[in-house]
Amino acid sequence: MSAEASARDLRRAQWRGVGAVAEREILRVLRLWKQTLVPQVLVAVLFIVVFGLALGGRLDGIGGVPYEQFIVPGLVLMGVGTAAFANNGTSIYQARGDGFIEDPVSSPMTASQLLLGYLSGGIVRAAIIGVGIVAAARAFVVFPLVNAGLVVATLLLSGIAFAALGTVVGLYARGWEHQNFVGNLVIQPLVFLGGVFYAVDDLPEPWATISRFDPIFYMVEATREGMLGAAEVPLGLSLGVTAGLAALMVLWAYTLFRRGVGLRT
Amino acid sequence: MGLRVEGLVKRFGDLTAVDSLDLAVPEGSFFGLLGPNGAGKTTLIRSVVGLCEPDEGHIEVLGVPAWGRRGAEARRLIGYAPQEVALDRFVPVREALELHGRYFGMSRRDAVARAREMLATFELEDKATSYANLLSGGMRRRLLLARALVHRPRLVILDEPTAGVDIELRHDLWAHISRLHADGTTILLTTHYLEEAEALCERVAFMRDGQIVTEGAPAELRGRFGAGRLEDVYLRVVGR
Repeated sequence: MSAEASARDLRRAQWRGVGAVAEREILRVLRLWKQTLVPQVLVAVLFIVVFGLALGGRLDGIGGVPYEQFIVPGLVLMGVGTAAFANNGTSIYQARGDGFIEDPVSSPMTASQLLLGYLSGGIVRAAIIGVGIVAAARAFVVFPLVNAGLVVATLLLSGIAFAALGTVVGLYARGWEHQNFVGNLVIQPLVFLGGVFYAVDDLPEPWATISRFDPIFYMVEATREGMLGAAEVPLGLSLGVTAGLAALMVLWAYTLFRRGVGLRT
Repeated sequence: MGLRVEGLVKRFGDLTAVDSLDLAVPEGSFFGLLGPNGAGKTTLIRSVVGLCEPDEGHIEVLGVPAWGRRGAEARRLIGYAPQEVALDRFVPVREALELHGRYFGMSRRDAVARAREMLATFELEDKATSYANLLSGGMRRRLLLARALVHRPRLVILDEPTAGVDIELRHDLWAHISRLHADGTTILLTTHYLEEAEALCERVAFMRDGQIVTEGAPAELRGRFGAGRLEDVYLRVVGR
């Protein structure tokens, strides 16, 4: 076989590997659907019912948007983000803990290909949950979908950012407590302070300013702009921060894969 | 050469696990790596398969450098059964074999056919839809070996493949490994069972403190050290 044919054959082999890792990750999501899909959709529905329908009638709308509509974009983003993060954090940590991650790591795949395969699971889980929450929300609340393309782009970028962050935590974690720490004490507060349930501009200082340093605020804003056509910050800024964060997280995860952190000794 | 290691050094903090090690395993040979726990056998093996990055030295698998630009090419040539039973508990046995084949570049169709063949060879057909964590210890060992062979590697590295298995299964595994060798596959085996090394290996190397202390054919080593058994050679060269 010539050097060129041999290189082509290796590339094909590597991409088959990526397909296999992605398939394994996606099948894991589907097989464990009671743990990976149902809870996030259920939590979002409960928020809509309790905050949107039960309490929303007692609240004025925000920026001219009825409250039960206002919270939907943030809840979709929250479901997508937490699912993508939890998926990759858990899957990679389990694979490391049990040692079977060494099977794909010792294969011919490159660091970027392995990362792509692993990100697929988180992104697919996030996509299913995003669609699930939108569909479930529609059963309770009538809301417009002003720019579906923007919503898809924002949720995709957010899913990538959170899946990559989950990958980083999964690679560094030395116990479940590390996963829980980042999930409960970092992501959850940032989500709640990111304007899911209120307009950040309505907060007193210094909280309004502090909230503008929360990257999740911009993800929520871009999603809200796409769904409702209403936002507190320009679209370019919110989409730019979302894309920038996704790029940064992917680069971080890639660097760890390349250096073999948590994978090689 | 099936495997060539030159000047390999691997340190973990203050501990030098592998120390300026040279090793040459001829292509098609059956080579045993023997030594006490902590001698550096597993570190050496993990350096070859891409799971432990060497600090210094050079490794070639069938003429292909194992690290650097051509590392992926080298890894494709290796089948590795680790010492620890590390199996994916989220996929059934058949699928675990198919996925492994595809990780190593097989098409889906080839991987499915080869997995079926491996299930039959290792008498795991009845367990094809079971999950690895529900298998007995012996079955897991068989599955580890089957997995290492799915993609038809040219260099097979077995790190204590018979550790903790009963005598009957050990002989079964020996038979599988011997057939593999007869087909021309290069085999590197580590084991604590010296009778296993004596029965299977054409050449053995003894390791201690991260270095090869001596190496040769079992009969040659017995003669060189005036020993009746390989175990006596072991006690002389690596015994404390």
